[in-house]
Amino acid sequence: MSSPSVLYAEQPEWADVIPIPQYENVEPLAPILYTPEYKDATDYFRGIVKTGEKSQRVLSLTEHIIRLNPAHYSAWQYRYETLLAIKAPLDVELKLMDEIAIKHMKTYQVWHHRRLLMTHLLRNTDSTGIDKGSSSSSTQSPTQIASSELTLIARTLAEDSKNYHTWSYRQWLLAFFNDDSLWERELDFVDSMLNADVRNNSAWHHRFFVVFQSGVREGEQNRDRVLKRELIYVKQNISLAPNNASAWNYLRGVLDLNKLPYSNLVTFVQPYSVSHPDTPSDLVDLENPPPSRGAQLPCPAAIEFLADVYEKEGGDNVLKATELWKSLGSEHDTIRKRYWEFRVKEGLRAIQAQS
Amino acid sequence: MADHLLVPLHVQYIQNLGKSQDDLVYHLTAHLRMNAIYWGLTALCVMGHKDALDRQEMIDYVMSCWDDEAGAFGAHPDHDAHILSTLSAIQILIMQDALDRVDIDRVVKFILSLQQPSGVFAGDQFGEVDTRFLFCSVNALSLLGRISELDVDKTVGYIIQCQNFDGGFGSSIGAESHAAQVFVCVGALAILDRLDIVDVPTLSWWLAERQLPNGGLNGRPEKLEDVCYSFWVLSALSILNKIHWIDADKLTSFILSAQDPENGGIADRPGDMPDVFHTQFGVAGLSILGYPGLADLDPVYCMPADVIERMGLRKGWKNLERRAAKST
Repeated sequence: MSSPSVLYAEQPEWADVIPIPQYENVEPLAPILYTPEYKDATDYFRGIVKTGEKSQRVLSLTEHIIRLNPAHYSAWQYRYETLLAIKAPLDVELKLMDEIAIKHMKTYQVWHHRRLLMTHLLRNTDSTGIDKGSSSSSTQSPTQIASSELTLIARTLAEDSKNYHTWSYRQWLLAFFNDDSLWERELDFVDSMLNADVRNNSAWHHRFFVVFQSGVREGEQNRDRVLKRELIYVKQNISLAPNNASAWNYLRGVLDLNKLPYSNLVTFVQPYSVSHPDTPSDLVDLENPPPSRGAQLPCPAAIEFLADVYEKEGGDNVLKATELWKSLGSEHDTIRKRYWEFRVKEGLRAIQAQS
Repeated sequence: MADHLLVPLHVQYIQNLGKSQDDLVYHLTAHLRMNAIYWGLTALCVMGHKDALDRQEMIDYVMSCWDDEAGAFGAHPDHDAHILSTLSAIQILIMQDALDRVDIDRVVKFILSLQQPSGVFAGDQFGEVDTRFLFCSVNALSLLGRISELDVDKTVGYIIQCQNFDGGFGSSIGAESHAAQVFVCVGALAILDRLDIVDVPTLSWWLAERQLPNGGLNGRPEKLEDVCYSFWVLSALSILNKIHWIDADKLTSFILSAQDPENGGIADRPGDMPDVFHTQFGVAGLSILGYPGLADLDPVYCMPADVIERMGLRKGWKNLERRAAKST
């Protein structure tokens, strides 16, 4: 690639292109005054778009623009069309774009470009693994390339563990390829993300997606065992860090999806709902891991959970629920006072209706 | 720290945007120019200073962004048409009483062409899909009076699949619940009169949970507060008739504390640099919270409520009552 500091206007290799300035035939309302480098590059971009050129030097030019302005979606679009037109190796392209992905992970285009490339790779490989149209330079199958993508995604998430586009791209990739060899590492991956930050909502969401929303894979057919495993997993993580909305949401999600009553979890939840739980026995109870030492108690989410159980039970227990909601509104979760007042009102109305 | 909305300063801030001396930032955001004008204009309307920007200049700019090949609007002259800029263009022209300048048939054709077999919408021919684009398409079609041409069941069918275990919605099927994506899904459902598919108690609770002890709102559990969620979360709650679940005083203080008291504008959080995006959504949030002196904002369309009302498009949302201004 030519040195970016040399304008295309000064490069003899580009002399055949007619650059088109930004405001040809348009009287600008608010003229953009921009750096000579960007102006020059985009003038030449407009020039080759006009002639419809698709070539290696267009790849250089679009890369240059993308590095200056990763949000220039026309440059991305044209680059993709060029890659296909000149049958450039897409796996090489993916590698080239790795650095840009990590640097500009918050830009939608970065991920959409990869999605397009991966889609093309999978769709243009025949059953023997040979890709038609030289989409790949190596003997790697699309699935192997997808595996490399998972590694790139992990690298990106190491920089920004909750990046929405990155997680969403990972979910798309897994679902699109739907290859067991790609899925099988996911639980370990989520585990490593949660070990780094147990409050990573994206990781919890991903786990739910992998376990419960992407079909049943080899080794996961015993759904009872899977359910049991997940309940133990989330309870252990709640034990580690009780004040973690994501974990409690995950617990509720698992119970709701599997139509399990919340009352099943009362023994586990109860110690989290008070300031000073009874000191646990020396016996390790996997089913009911207690709050870890030093945890801030009571945990509002636990109080809320118990209240939901009491409300569901009905009768006199609804009154117990209202007491818990009152404590949340007045003491443990005052920012949501109005919400807890609503629950109390509803509860009292239910009691009235019963009598 | 300001304890009230610094309207004159923000008006000035918006007026100065087009005159930015910072070349680099200005040209790197060309792809947002149409959106930026819409954000600026809407904020001005809510603050009661619509005329602070020249109407004719604005209309001319919008029309200069017409992509005649696609039959829709790009973000900037010579940019390809995109649904984001197309919606903003339509919203600007409506607020400026100039919708007659648009070839509506062509725009409708463009929008409908973006719908994918799955029901979601792409942003443009590049093919990126996102529930944001679904909302923008539904919104635009509604504003153009052509919502009847949409396959509602197909569209709603996609949104249903984006519903997550926590009651929220993501950018696509399987994606994490995020307040901005919740807004676009709930907003689209409101326009299509299909809020019936929402798990209202769970989603409303999830939205109420976005409020942090400092009063600000975040977009997902365990993330930082950001002024823009004052709109995404509040508008969704208003649509679901649960706006009173938010501690309005604390959120108001939070938004006001994110103002730049010297140059105007509102930032994502106190101490950061302001930008027109956060200025608009901070002002929008305050309007929904009933802050005195502001015009009503329609949370579904994110446009002045009186404009939407005149078009017969008002839905059943409920903002907080406008408070009377305190006498100083």
